[in-house]
Amino acid sequence: MDGVTSMTEMTAMKSPDTTSRTWGSRLVAVLPLIVLVVLLAVVTMRQPSFLDIRSLQSLSISLAPILLLGIGQTFVVLTGGIDLSNAALTSLGTVLLAMWLPHFGFGAAVLMIGSLTFLGFLSGWVSATAQIPTFIVTLGAMGLWGGVGMVLTGASTVQIGDSYKAIAWVRDTLILQVPMPAVISVCLVFLVAALMSTLSSGRKFHAIGLAEQAVLMSGGSTFRLRCAAFALSGLFAGLAALVLTASQFSGAPHLADSLLLPVIAAIVVGGTAITGGSGGPIRTLVGASIVVVLRVGMNAVGVDTAYEQIVYGAVIILAVAVTIDRARIRVVK
Amino acid sequence: MNTSASDDVSEPVNAEIEQPLLRVENLTKRFPGVVALDDVTMEVRPHEVVGLIGENGAGKSTLLNILSGLYAQDSGTLKVNGMQVTFKGPRDAAQAGIGMVHQEQSLINAVSVAENILLGIEAQSLTAGWYRWSSLNTRAQEQLDKIGSKISPTALVNTLTFAEKQMVEVAKALAVEEEYAGQPVIVLDEPTSVLESDDLETLFAEIDRLRKVASIVFVSHRLDEVLRVSDRVYVMKDGRCVAERDPKTVHIDDLYRLMVGKESSGQFYREDSQVAVRDAAPVLVTKGLTKEGCFVDVDLEVRPGEVLGIAGVQGSGREELSRVLFGADSYDAGQIWLSGKRKRFSSPFGAVRAGIGYVPIERRIEGVAQGMSVRENVLLADCRAVSRGPFLVPRLVNEMVHEWVSKLNIKTPNLDADVVNLSGGNQQKVILAKWLSSPRVKVLILDHPTRGLDVGAKEDVYSLIRELCERDMAIILLGDTLEEVISLSHRVVVMRDGSISASFEAAPGSKPMPVDLIKWMV
Amino acid sequence: MSTLEKLRDRASTVVGLTGTASHQWRSRLINAGPVVALVVLIIVFAITSSVFLTGSNLATIGSQLSILLVLAVGMTFVILLGSIDLSSEGVMAASSLIFVLLASNDRNGNNFGWLAVGAGIGTGALFGLINGFFHTKFGIPSFMVTLGTGAIGLGVATVLFGGQPPRLMDGTLRRLGVASWFGVSALLYISLGVFVVALLIQKYTRVGRYGYVIGGDEGIASISGINIKKYKIGAFVISGTCAGLAGVMASAQLDVGDVNIGTGLLFTAISAVVVGGTILSGGRGGVLKTLIGSLIIVVLANGLILAGISPDVQIAVQSVVIVAAVAITSWPLRKRVRVVK
Repeated sequence: MDGVTSMTEMTAMKSPDTTSRTWGSRLVAVLPLIVLVVLLAVVTMRQPSFLDIRSLQSLSISLAPILLLGIGQTFVVLTGGIDLSNAALTSLGTVLLAMWLPHFGFGAAVLMIGSLTFLGFLSGWVSATAQIPTFIVTLGAMGLWGGVGMVLTGASTVQIGDSYKAIAWVRDTLILQVPMPAVISVCLVFLVAALMSTLSSGRKFHAIGLAEQAVLMSGGSTFRLRCAAFALSGLFAGLAALVLTASQFSGAPHLADSLLLPVIAAIVVGGTAITGGSGGPIRTLVGASIVVVLRVGMNAVGVDTAYEQIVYGAVIILAVAVTIDRARIRVVK
Repeated sequence: MNTSASDDVSEPVNAEIEQPLLRVENLTKRFPGVVALDDVTMEVRPHEVVGLIGENGAGKSTLLNILSGLYAQDSGTLKVNGMQVTFKGPRDAAQAGIGMVHQEQSLINAVSVAENILLGIEAQSLTAGWYRWSSLNTRAQEQLDKIGSKISPTALVNTLTFAEKQMVEVAKALAVEEEYAGQPVIVLDEPTSVLESDDLETLFAEIDRLRKVASIVFVSHRLDEVLRVSDRVYVMKDGRCVAERDPKTVHIDDLYRLMVGKESSGQFYREDSQVAVRDAAPVLVTKGLTKEGCFVDVDLEVRPGEVLGIAGVQGSGREELSRVLFGADSYDAGQIWLSGKRKRFSSPFGAVRAGIGYVPIERRIEGVAQGMSVRENVLLADCRAVSRGPFLVPRLVNEMVHEWVSKLNIKTPNLDADVVNLSGGNQQKVILAKWLSSPRVKVLILDHPTRGLDVGAKEDVYSLIRELCERDMAIILLGDTLEEVISLSHRVVVMRDGSISASFEAAPGSKPMPVDLIKWMV
Repeated sequence: MSTLEKLRDRASTVVGLTGTASHQWRSRLINAGPVVALVVLIIVFAITSSVFLTGSNLATIGSQLSILLVLAVGMTFVILLGSIDLSSEGVMAASSLIFVLLASNDRNGNNFGWLAVGAGIGTGALFGLINGFFHTKFGIPSFMVTLGTGAIGLGVATVLFGGQPPRLMDGTLRRLGVASWFGVSALLYISLGVFVVALLIQKYTRVGRYGYVIGGDEGIASISGINIKKYKIGAFVISGTCAGLAGVMASAQLDVGDVNIGTGLLFTAISAVVVGGTILSGGRGGVLKTLIGSLIIVVLANGLILAGISPDVQIAVQSVVIVAAVAITSWPLRKRVRVVK
């Protein structure tokens, strides 16, 4: 038939082997949960005090920022992109919050979150308008926000002092003995998941990740959706900044930068494909839990924290190798 | 009238008995839902130019793809110099002396002419992995000399004009001769699509020179050009080689008749259901629509309940036009009016909002969202009817999707099934359901809607089109075959080389004949 | 004029843009751009600062150029493919530690001298191999793989670091780090040597030539029978080796092995490549362009410091420059229905 002119198109016409696909995707959905349970078991056996209230509390404090950043990143990764700048944005957020608290009290938090949402939106806007890859835009954004933070603070930490009272409750409030940020983050996970399955636009991020061309040719505005995903990433980066500032009593230019790798690990290990289209906030919750338990567990088992980076790097590469949907990409750069 | 190859093959012009350079025998190739090549037998003799003509879907592309090693045939043989060959890939075809010059440019812009000509076969110009440029350039120059080109082998391709790039492509095709001891066969696929008249003359001179060292297969829809250069011409139709003619003696009407072939019964297209269009203001109007390099000064109008067919071969501009109407491509001049209002779309987003739907030719990539369920695909364009506020109402969704599944007879195990598992015909119906479930769609553009569909699915689509007309949907149809376009349409517009060359009324009972149309198409 | 001729006339204006004199002018302009920018920068800074053209400042520029050039030249091969290598800082860190700990240092009794240099460079090559392997075998996007291996590199360096930087004690190697012949630092000679080797690779070997082909159009490359995986891995190995060498050079210069030895250099290297004119989507550019780009970046940084602008601003500016350069060069490729992730 005229029009079918290449080998690749011809092979695409054969219907794909879908039985293996559904089994594979079921495995990907369930495996992280199994890993988490196994990990918890192993760590608890080595260190029974792991399940103590105090230990769980400190676990939740580590979990909250990673989870919040993870939720934000999930929106972007679902569309097939990546946000390399969200940790740097959080760092900037802590700086802004620390600087503005004395002037605006709690309003500073609202202002900061709003600003970060806008800055996140900017990344999406630039990427969508110029039609350039998200990894390069957010790579640049990462450097930009870091530089801005350094300039604003003169490369030093911003202590908060008295005005801390306005956000002290973020750190101090306990819900059922668990620090509030962790509880709220987990609730947000389920809220977002619920919205995704009930809103009429709930699956639009997935749609872009799976079949952007078809969405475009059905009249969908991928431009708006891309901007929205990045704006949400900024919003959650702001929330993470609030939590971090409260727990550190200060803001600093590179405070949250080291969170980038654990966040990406959380997404990938949770089973969300880097190519987009499959996954969601609940998977990110599982992934974030694994990352946090791993971190604490490594300490418990006596492994030097210096090895953390190696673990993250290796885990990311392996998890992506397993979850990537090769059938859908023809040319990988 | 049915013609077969054996009836019309004329006596060989040259009485010398020579082994043909290339011979295909009884070549057959099937794709899901269609027989692309049906028992095709042709040959190419030494030092000759063979022309190949045929309408869309005649099988030319498939034949070329098999010759160049991209596909394998289902049955039949390929013989090079009398010896049977099997190609496992493009390299095998090149090693057998077949060089293809494709329609799309296949050159790498940032490297030199020599590197492009010898891409993949540089080995003999390398010593221990080190490029010997003098050797590479000399080899490239040999190929360029065969066509008398003045292009320097060291020039970078991105500094060449389009016509010069074409020459490099020919030289690249000729390079197959290095690995092949005999005379190569060079296939030129629609080489004149975008060439200025000076360049055309250069190309024809090139072909004359090439004849001394190679044989050429010249594929084009421009009959006048094919007849001018070729020694013999084959006509293809519906996957079969229906005739062989001598360009010096053939009459052009004979060729038209051969390209078009038999007619199908009107019943297949439900012609009896065709209702006259009521007298109402046109829903979509274009004035002077122009897109550089694609089409010029297109004036169209479609009324509610009317099917406007657009006929044309590749290069006519009709596919580009349909995309421009949907906002998927920009245009350079002219106006589009929808229901009396001037509209400017910057993307399909605006077009869909205004009520235009589009069933694309690339069904798998642009039509259905692979990886998503049937249910989600039907909702892809507009889900307002089944939402309350920002929330989807699952009950309404299921009711609506079930309704369309049964109305269109979509075969799917359930609504959650991944749409990629459905057959082509059912996927097409899902796409149609997507547009039809949206109450605001007033104009539906169908771009080759029955391509790859089996007979049953085709009939379903035809019935649906008739029904839609009764409901005042305006339809623009780019048909797969001339018969399809003529039967289904109320009016047919013919495009050739970017502009409208003719327009026909096609009321039932007074339909034009395909042969009337073809002379305006080629 | 018939319609056909009208159409061909219109088509020829399109053709004109892509093939004839006007295109030649445009590409000459684009090629000349970075050189002109460099000249302008030098003139501006020479005028605004009395210190700019002094011997010692030029020496500073030279030594800053050396390490950046090595890194950027390696990165060029990867970017030409259309990919990216984000692991440079991690690889530099790992090779720096491995080099110092194997050479004569203040922490252990090793004294492998030039073998330690080889080990440092070899570390880079190994990382490059890993990058290339995982990228081609598993289809993992290059930014992802190199992000991971970069982390691994930093991790390895951190583990080896042990809380305090090991100091390099090897006399010859330390001297190399600070020596200068005819006013030019030894390290700059080395980096220029690397540049020349890279230029030769680019012009005379398959890894170099096929980089343009694969970056230009991978489909055409594959149909022509080119072993794409092999040459992609090759490009990553070159990039990794250069990062390894850069780590060794930096350690020789500073006399320590340090996890942070490469901090900030990733952005700078990418900026140098992009500003020089090698586009991120691949298929165009080269190491000569990267040399110009590196000069621009180093001169700009130097001039800004002389003008009193903080280096933190520099990274911010470089980041914007990277995105702006990509946006500008990609602008003509925009289409309505186009998918870019």
